[in-house]
Amino acid sequence: MLDIILSPQLFFAAAVLGSLYALIGLGLNLVYGTMRLLNIAHGDIVMLGAFSAFWWFTLTGFSPLLALPVIAALGAMIGLCLYILLFRRQLAQGLDPVVIEARSLLLFFGVSVVIQNVTALLFTATPRAYRHLDEVFRIGDLAMTGSRIAALACSVVLLIAMLVFLKKTLFGIEVRALIQHREAARIVGINVEKVQIVAISMGFGVTAVAGALLSMTELITPFMGFRFTIASFVVIILGGLGNIKGGIMAGFLLGLLEIYAVTIFSAEARSILIYGCFVLAIVLRPQGLLGIGKKA
Amino acid sequence: MIRRQLFGIALGSALATLAMPVWAEDPVKIGYTMARTGLFAEAAPSQENAYALWQEQVNAAGGLDVNGVKRMIEFVSYDDESDPAKSAQLYERLITSDKVDLLLAPWGTPHHLNVAGVAERYGFPIVGNTAASVAIREVQPGNIWFPTSAIPDKIGPELAAMLAEAGVGSVSIIANVLPFSQENLAFLTVALKAANIEIKMSENYPPDISDMTPLITQMKSAGADAVLALTYPADAFLYMGQARELGLKTDLQFMLIGPTIDAFNKAFGPAADGVVTLAHWSPAQSDWPRAKPFFDAYVAKFNQEPDYLDSALAYMSAEILTQAVAKAGLNKDALRQAIASGSFDTINGEVRFDGVQNSVTPTAFVQRQGDVTELVWPKSIATAPLK
Repeated sequence: MLDIILSPQLFFAAAVLGSLYALIGLGLNLVYGTMRLLNIAHGDIVMLGAFSAFWWFTLTGFSPLLALPVIAALGAMIGLCLYILLFRRQLAQGLDPVVIEARSLLLFFGVSVVIQNVTALLFTATPRAYRHLDEVFRIGDLAMTGSRIAALACSVVLLIAMLVFLKKTLFGIEVRALIQHREAARIVGINVEKVQIVAISMGFGVTAVAGALLSMTELITPFMGFRFTIASFVVIILGGLGNIKGGIMAGFLLGLLEIYAVTIFSAEARSILIYGCFVLAIVLRPQGLLGIGKKA
Repeated sequence: MIRRQLFGIALGSALATLAMPVWAEDPVKIGYTMARTGLFAEAAPSQENAYALWQEQVNAAGGLDVNGVKRMIEFVSYDDESDPAKSAQLYERLITSDKVDLLLAPWGTPHHLNVAGVAERYGFPIVGNTAASVAIREVQPGNIWFPTSAIPDKIGPELAAMLAEAGVGSVSIIANVLPFSQENLAFLTVALKAANIEIKMSENYPPDISDMTPLITQMKSAGADAVLALTYPADAFLYMGQARELGLKTDLQFMLIGPTIDAFNKAFGPAADGVVTLAHWSPAQSDWPRAKPFFDAYVAKFNQEPDYLDSALAYMSAEILTQAVAKAGLNKDALRQAIASGSFDTINGEVRFDGVQNSVTPTAFVQRQGDVTELVWPKSIATAPLK
């Protein structure tokens, strides 16, 4: 058992899973952190990213990795449309964050149903999949499928890029300021609406990219998104609501937990272990791993 | 006066022309529900596609033969949202409110079992299809029939027999916790022990598992001759990809559900070669002359292969209904008698019912060999030997 636990294979599996969880969580955190919108259609944006990659590959024959910027832009546009149509006016009213959260929950529930069913109507619910980067590379005892290497590499690059953007650029600092304290950000002259627009676009764009990366290894259906919605909420709550770094850490932690807990205990106990640890973490540290990113 | 007469003639002709469609045969209304949304929405299209193909073919040939009179088929269908209770309610609506002439079955065992009660209450015969559980034998016979032979208490012993004949001495088993996998696991475990096949490892996993690396790593360590993965489609996909990545090599790999869906072969291509799975139909069986034309027509219409279980069963049930209606018309009692006692020529060969079950089609397995899915067990219907 020890040799299995210490094997690089498990670590690779945890890294791939964790990086995708971190990316999906990042998207949700950007939206929640800046606007307190509880996007329970988040997994459906993953699904749309997956479908976009599938159709790109099927129709052009080119790698979906080449289409990532386009898929990100599509995700961003969806986020922008939802912001303008559903949330802009409410956010401008200066409502209590609790009210915003409650309304967003209901609105996004409706959005989720619409996205799933429109996708099923357009493409049917027939499962889709495609073969791309399926060569297996071996380094000693470690075996890695090309698509999983690509998913890990793209996720890590995107996560680092987002962290650099948020830390080093003026706009990134404005996003962090808005996450930290909305009113204070407004007082110091930050264009809150502009930041919100960029944050929701980036959040949805990053999530769509995660879907595209997942499409290389997952069965694609209009109803595949739900478990990613659950995972993303676990990640952002574990990491600290609105805390970008915390969310990324929590994503990788969830990946490690899922792989190693299954190895040590059993696959059947996976859900109990993951959500049990999640509940324990919230009880012991309700503000999340790195604390809450903004004050109410 | 002449103008008035001419006007009258013209008006009369117009009215007669408008009245003409009244003299054409009314369509046959056939009702069903389908899981178009919800948990089973991913599995149901393969069944509904088969229905759509059947309707198109029958209507193109002039319509459904109802006691010698051809009538076009018109579907009345609803989304049951993957909810068996809702499915039963909707079937009641189809019978009492929509007043359909015939019924086709919904997708899935729980739906069939719920709808069986409605069929019994209204005395409305339904030919079932995608139901595969020992529970179907508890259904009151007389208004619903099940053409599938993929029943868990038969699958276990047949799989064990096939493995024993192939010289398999040990197996590793992983099983989804969902009902069909677990039902099969129960019967399979007993059958393997009876066949003196050692079970080196047996683990369950949840349906939302995201990575099977730990499970497959354990399977590699166990070193069994064969791997039996009692999967549903999504986890079959995950298992196949990761088993390939980890270089899991065994004499035989079996997956319960998944490898017969079109997306599986598109995703894995040559890597899926040799995988054995559950199905009792193949277009490669030349003894069933309807099999290949169905396959070709399905591919032409939907640009994908039919599911060797669900699509085949759905189409079979429609064929049985076609032949029964041709003989008995739409009278429920006559139709019931025709289905219960008749012999039907389907894409899967002959089908006859003994009580609720198909007494002819054996429990079978197929194997992907190159680009073809061959029947490999039992030998009575095999189109190729097990590799």
